[in-house]
Amino acid sequence: MKRHLALLVLAVSISVYVSPILAHHAFSSEFDANKPIKLKGTVSRIEWINPHSWIHVDVKETDGKVTKWMIEGGSPNALIRRGVTSQLLKVGMEVSVEGYQAKDGSNRANGRDITLADGRKLSVGSSGTGAPGEQ
Amino acid sequence: MRHFSTIGVLALLSFLPFVGLAQAPARTATATKAWTPPKTPDGQPDLQGYWTNITITPLERPANLANKEFFTRAEAEAYEKQVVDRNNADRRDGTPAQDVSRAYNDFWWDRGTKVVKTLRTSLIVDPPDGRVPAMVAGATQRLAAQARTRVGRATDGPEFRPLAERCLLWATAGPPMMPSFYNNNYQIVQNAGYVMILVEMIHDVRIIPIDNRPHLPGEVRQWLGNAVGHWDGNTLVVETTNFTDKTSFRSTSKDMKLTERFTRTDADTLMYEFTVDDPLTYVRPWTAQIPMSKTEGPIWEYACHEGNYAMTNVLSGARAEEKAAAEAAAKGSRK
Repeated sequence: MKRHLALLVLAVSISVYVSPILAHHAFSSEFDANKPIKLKGTVSRIEWINPHSWIHVDVKETDGKVTKWMIEGGSPNALIRRGVTSQLLKVGMEVSVEGYQAKDGSNRANGRDITLADGRKLSVGSSGTGAPGEQ
Repeated sequence: MRHFSTIGVLALLSFLPFVGLAQAPARTATATKAWTPPKTPDGQPDLQGYWTNITITPLERPANLANKEFFTRAEAEAYEKQVVDRNNADRRDGTPAQDVSRAYNDFWWDRGTKVVKTLRTSLIVDPPDGRVPAMVAGATQRLAAQARTRVGRATDGPEFRPLAERCLLWATAGPPMMPSFYNNNYQIVQNAGYVMILVEMIHDVRIIPIDNRPHLPGEVRQWLGNAVGHWDGNTLVVETTNFTDKTSFRSTSKDMKLTERFTRTDADTLMYEFTVDDPLTYVRPWTAQIPMSKTEGPIWEYACHEGNYAMTNVLSGARAEEKAAAEAAAKGSRK
């Protein structure tokens, strides 16, 4: 049978019990399209774990208070092959993140675009962008 | 660039059967240059190493390529460009809904940019139209009944989430082993009696005895089926039966018989073919062919359960939506 994953442009033919869902889960079930976020902060911790990596970011608010965010990233296995390793992405680095917040309102988001302080974008893989793995 | 030489050889080989006896000298000249597959120290064909089946060639031939079994090189390049452009999720010109769907951009993917080196337009080689055959009537009813048990329950609990999301089984891990969106890597290790295939996604190890032993009794069912192998010349043939109804490949039943064939065809290529024979689902057997290419190791462990926060997020997201809906309904009824 065919089931179309809501919001995902790519329709994947799947079986009832096993689905080659895009990655492990639909962002549409996890994150809210009505809650786009843009934040800038310092990487406090990186979890290089499967199925997906998590980048912890400390965001300093205007009043000086620090808010902790968790940003979901790609599979470490794939990232390492692209050159996104612990040598490139380190604790203490400043990053800018664009994404969508978790539906349950917690400070978790998907990493729609992750940009390093030097302007390199981790999340851009299109040809000619100079993204990691392109070199 | 290795692909070009491979294609050249394949093109030549495919041409050879049509060459008459008058061309025999040329044929002999080619034969002397033929590549000799390596053997293990104990004399078996050596399939060992790291392999990848990454490709953008679809399982089924797209409708606009009907009757076109192979691309020319130029057509292949145009098709590759078209697919890569279409897959570009870094564009931000859509609606919020489209944008959130494109959040799976190339930070996540490694799904390849090239068609298969044979330049076929589909992975399916039989039937000749490159499409999955029609289903038998009983299959449609079986699938509908299975679907009904899950309607409206997708976020009831982890048991209703797909096996992949539960870190249990990746749908393309096989058997049969299909290219997926990332981590399309395999390692083969052999000894005298077994072939081991490590499948990167999402941690499965297939251990296949190659003594052509009988299959397990019919009542013994396994998620990856029961695989038994043997050598047919330089080809490893693996026949898998005894599947369960917990897994399925393209809607197959638990009684599918899957036959896989692995053949080294040049230094860079392990030709992988599989035939799905499932009379309970399809009106005829069908076969796909995926050339796997050498790649570099190691394959990192894919310890999926360790970081599966997403399961929590999906379910807590659903509970939050239900709560919001209930509150909205309560507010509405008070007015």
